[in-house]
Formats: sequence, structure tokens, C-alpha cells
Amino acid sequence: MSDPVFRSALAHRNDRNSVPGLSIGLTEISDRGMIDLRGAASDKKFAGAVKDVLGVALCTKPRSSASAGDITVLWLSIDQWLITCPRSAASDLHGRLVKALDGIHSLAVDVSDMRAIFRLEGDNARVVLNKGTSVDFTDGTLGAGSVRRLRYAEIAAAVHVISDAPCVMDMYLFRSYADYAWSYLSKTAAKASEVKLFGVQVGIGV
Amino acid sequence: MLVVTCPVCGVHGDETDFHCGGQAHVARPASTRPENVTDAEQRDYLFIRHNPKGLHFERWRCDRGCGKWFHAARDTVSLEFKAFYGVTELPPVELMKQATGTWAEFFKDKIKAGKAS
Repeated sequence: MSDPVFRSALAHRNDRNSVPGLSIGLTEISDRGMIDLRGAASDKKFAGAVKDVLGVALCTKPRSSASAGDITVLWLSIDQWLITCPRSAASDLHGRLVKALDGIHSLAVDVSDMRAIFRLEGDNARVVLNKGTSVDFTDGTLGAGSVRRLRYAEIAAAVHVISDAPCVMDMYLFRSYADYAWSYLSKTAAKASEVKLFGVQVGIGV
Repeated sequence: MLVVTCPVCGVHGDETDFHCGGQAHVARPASTRPENVTDAEQRDYLFIRHNPKGLHFERWRCDRGCGKWFHAARDTVSLEFKAFYGVTELPPVELMKQATGTWAEFFKDKIKAGKAS
């Protein structure tokens, strides 16, 4: 038997580790495991079982997140969450979830290899994201902890705002789009294509 | 460009974040009387759509958001959305009163019953 081995979706790219000349920090996060969880948030048995396993209650407020230790729960829909944890712990956590949810109408699937995760850092990151989506990341509504699913550069993606100052955001997108999105971000985040007259001006005295 | 609000998760966005699913409140004859559905009724249910100038009831999906289906009432002339409501709900009574075509027939007894949802 051969064991499955994780290989980054960007493994074939020379610029995988660093893209030269960017106005933001752009890195790939490949050591994160993900579990897709579906169930009725109003079901007390379901919510209780999940909380017991994760150590944190599921976030029911739209576009929010919750975390405890190295486990973070991202809100994806009114009945769907993405649970992130270290990749090495995903299989064990998934097993415990499935066991705890036995007999409760729900679904927990280990989707650690389904999505690629990019980390965007720096003051310019929000403006760079604005170039690819109709969602305004600079209007102040998406603060730290927010999760926004969106159409980014014509593909489905989700952005998790980790912190505001300094600005750190994780972008989740399907693995098959990773190469395209990396190219798109490399171009739109290039120093030469920085947007000067838009949103909050950084470093310009008014 | 249409700006849509999802009544399920409250997201407010551009129409490219959503997906229009065509005419809403199309009654399926086989659901109410499966033993007695004529070919003409089945044809109308599958293919014949109402295309009014004015108030139009339609289904939408929060495609890049929560992924849920919902209903919307939109004016096809001004492109203005009159209401967004849940997938199991009926439009506000005043809009049901303005409905035309098969919708008017569909809403008739619901307005009488005074049911807003």
C-alpha cells in the first residue's frame, strides 16, 4: 500500500516561496488541516457535541469566526462551518467529531486537501483584494475575526481577517485555482501596480 | 448592475455574487393532484413562464455567500428590488395584490387568508 502524501498546489512554481517586488506579504500556508462541518445550529445536541470536542462553541453570527487554542471555526453558512487546525491533528480531530456526532443528523468531512490557503499581510493587502472583487475590504465592516466568502477574480474564495493592525488575512480557495490565484495576486500586488488614490491613504500627508 | 441582499445571511452585494434561478412560485400540478395531471398542465409547468413588464417574482441563490436559495420581487422596468424573502415564505401582502398572471391566481387565496408568510 502507498500512503497519500501532501504536495502543495504550488509545488511546481519557482516563485512559490517568495514573489519579488510585491507591496504585500504573500505566503502559502500548507500545514493547516481543514474539516467541513454541516448541521443545524439550532439543534442543541449537535451544538453541544461539537463544543465538547472543539472546546469552542460554533459561531452562529454570519461572517464571523471563533477559536480556542489552535482550533479556529470559520462561519461558511447558517449550517456550515470550516474547522481549521494543524494538519497533523486533523485526522484525530475529525475522528473525535464523527464519534461525538454519532446519531445526530450532521456531516463532518476531513477536507484538508481541498483548499489552498494564502496569507496576505501588510497595509496594502485590503486594497489588493479590492482589485479582484466587488466586496469593499476598506469600508471598515470586515474587522478582525470576520470571514467573508466572495467571488474573487471570478473564482470562489473565502477571506478570514486574522488581525487589523498589522493587517493579516488568510485567503481560502479551491486547490485547483491555487496556481491561477497566485499568479493573479502576484500581478495585482506588485509594487508597480499599487493603487495611489483609493481608500485610506497610507503614508500620504493630507 | 443589480445590488442584492440575501435575507438568510444578510449579505449585501453585487449580482455577480448571486445567481438568479428564474421565476418563483411556479406551482407543480403533480404535487397537489398527482393522479390527474394533463399534458398541457405539465408542459406549462415545465416550460411556460410569465414575462411581465413590471413586478416579477424570482428565485435567487446566495452563490458566493451562504449558498442558500431565497425569493425576490423585482420590477423589470426600473430593475428595483421590492422585497427579499425566504424560500418558504410568500411576498408581502401588498406585492401579492399587485401580482399578475399565474402569480395572481397562486396568491389569491393566500391574500384572503391574510397570510404574510
